[in-house]
Amino acid sequence: MSVNEPLPAVPRPLHWLAKAVDWSVILIGATLITLVFTNVVLHAFAKDFAWMTELGELLMVWVTFLGGAAAAQRGGHMAISEFLDKLDVTRRRQADAAIQLFCMVVLGVLLFYGVRIVIGGWDNVLTTLEWRMSWQYLPLPLGAALMLIFIGWDLMQIVRGVPRELRYPQD
Amino acid sequence: MLALVIFGSFFVLALAGIPLMFSLLATTTGIVVAYGMQYPLESVFLSFIGGVEPFILIAVPLFVFTGELLAQGGVGKRIVEFANVLFGWMPGGLGVVTVMSCLLFGGVSGSAIADTAAIGSLVIPAMLARGYSRGFAAALVSVAGTLALLMPLSIPFLVYAFVSGVSMRTLSMAGLVPAILSAMALIGVCMWHGKSTGVDPGGKPSSMAAIWQAGVSAGPALLMPVFIVGGIWSGYFTPTEAAAVAVVYGLAVSLLLYQDLTPKDIPHLLLKAFMTSATVMLVIGATGALAWLITAEQVAQQMANWVSSVAHVKWVFLLMLNVALVLLGIFIEPLPALLMAAPLFLPLAMAFKIDLVHMGVIMTANLAIALYTPPVGGTLFVAAKLAKASIGEITRHLWLMMAVTFSVVILITYVPSLTSWLPRLIVSWG
Repeated sequence: MSVNEPLPAVPRPLHWLAKAVDWSVILIGATLITLVFTNVVLHAFAKDFAWMTELGELLMVWVTFLGGAAAAQRGGHMAISEFLDKLDVTRRRQADAAIQLFCMVVLGVLLFYGVRIVIGGWDNVLTTLEWRMSWQYLPLPLGAALMLIFIGWDLMQIVRGVPRELRYPQD
Repeated sequence: MLALVIFGSFFVLALAGIPLMFSLLATTTGIVVAYGMQYPLESVFLSFIGGVEPFILIAVPLFVFTGELLAQGGVGKRIVEFANVLFGWMPGGLGVVTVMSCLLFGGVSGSAIADTAAIGSLVIPAMLARGYSRGFAAALVSVAGTLALLMPLSIPFLVYAFVSGVSMRTLSMAGLVPAILSAMALIGVCMWHGKSTGVDPGGKPSSMAAIWQAGVSAGPALLMPVFIVGGIWSGYFTPTEAAAVAVVYGLAVSLLLYQDLTPKDIPHLLLKAFMTSATVMLVIGATGALAWLITAEQVAQQMANWVSSVAHVKWVFLLMLNVALVLLGIFIEPLPALLMAAPLFLPLAMAFKIDLVHMGVIMTANLAIALYTPPVGGTLFVAAKLAKASIGEITRHLWLMMAVTFSVVILITYVPSLTSWLPRLIVSWG
């Protein structure tokens, strides 16, 4: 497949899932900023949110794993690609496929143990918020599952022969 | 032996192009399984989450977002105009303006990549129009952009403060003298280049009215670091809260005052900032998992023993540290490199009675050099793209700049008072 040929259509559910992930990142990020700034304003009145640290940490874990999934859609995870860039097109495609497969195996392990951690944290609660600890751990398997879906789709495109510049147009 | 297996496995995977987060997690879990260690793998993944969640690290995406707001919101343009009326008349004036603009913008963004992109996109076309070569323009921007890492709101300082436990208040001031020294050294190179090549011999100083006008226009942006660092120093804000204040300040300046951004631009910038930060935070978390294994297996202790058997005296250790950090930084971005190197080098630094604030500045300054050391480097690539210059062209002009900045790093390394003087002075006032 050449760069001039049209990109295979992204399945509709995948398109909406990607949008949902992006908007979740935006909303959680905006909430985090608003909460931390409001807490600073409250200092002027000698007050603060007692639960700020706990909720801030929880939101940070959520926005990080969902942000990781958003980055996976765009091939944006930090990597050393200098040696890969020297490969010819065919070898580069094979290397990309092998790398995505490797990442999927790691994500599968992360998903499995993430679910176990969520189940294990069910009986424990966060000190101030008194929410189940599992809410803090849930982004681990959820983020792993989302990354698995996005990387899996990318792997399918590689196998179909879609060139890199079409898979990640911003490269 | 285990240390060699750990670092060897990680580097093989990372150099093969596997994203750093996955290379780190695969190395950690692979070694636990392959060596039949009795740790439950849940511990590895709990350390992974634990590395992501600390409250202080919320400041990282918030400062990245502030950098995006300021870069897109017209702040860079006004800073360059201000630097131009102040320094544009000197020999090599446009080069001097580039260095000073990077220093000032670095003070508000704390990010080398943001600094290089924001200032480079403005000054490189002007430098080329004046007759500077593409290679020189790109080399200067790639080096000057890293001054941001030594400025008070430096993101690597924030991460170092978290891993080492030193005060961000002290660290925020400790890098200022080294940053100014590096800027002075680069200004010297620009003046020599401008005069010796005749490309930019200098001109007439601007009028006081022009300086005043540009100062008033750039003032709100230039006041931001004073306001934020002042808040941290007075104890009114924690670094995380300071980051939220910086976001609101950046929004006010870009949306209301300069009006170079509209509310419609904000969701896209938020996504970009939080996504970029997430990729860094996930590597930080995965480094946390590897650090957990290194601690549990006392690898750091074994490494420390080896290094101390080679480096008997402090100066040899510091030299080894400089070389190791530049080499590490060539392949790995400053934040993950800092996180990987800190658990190994901090115990040794303490054994050699090196002040940990001084150590933070040394580590950050070395990793900053790696950002523009050929053949690979973050600011090197950004500047090359902006100037449409090849790495070879840039490298020809880079050696002199690298020589002067590396001299400054050596000076910082062996003269600790350069980093400790300013924080001490401020403490004595306060």
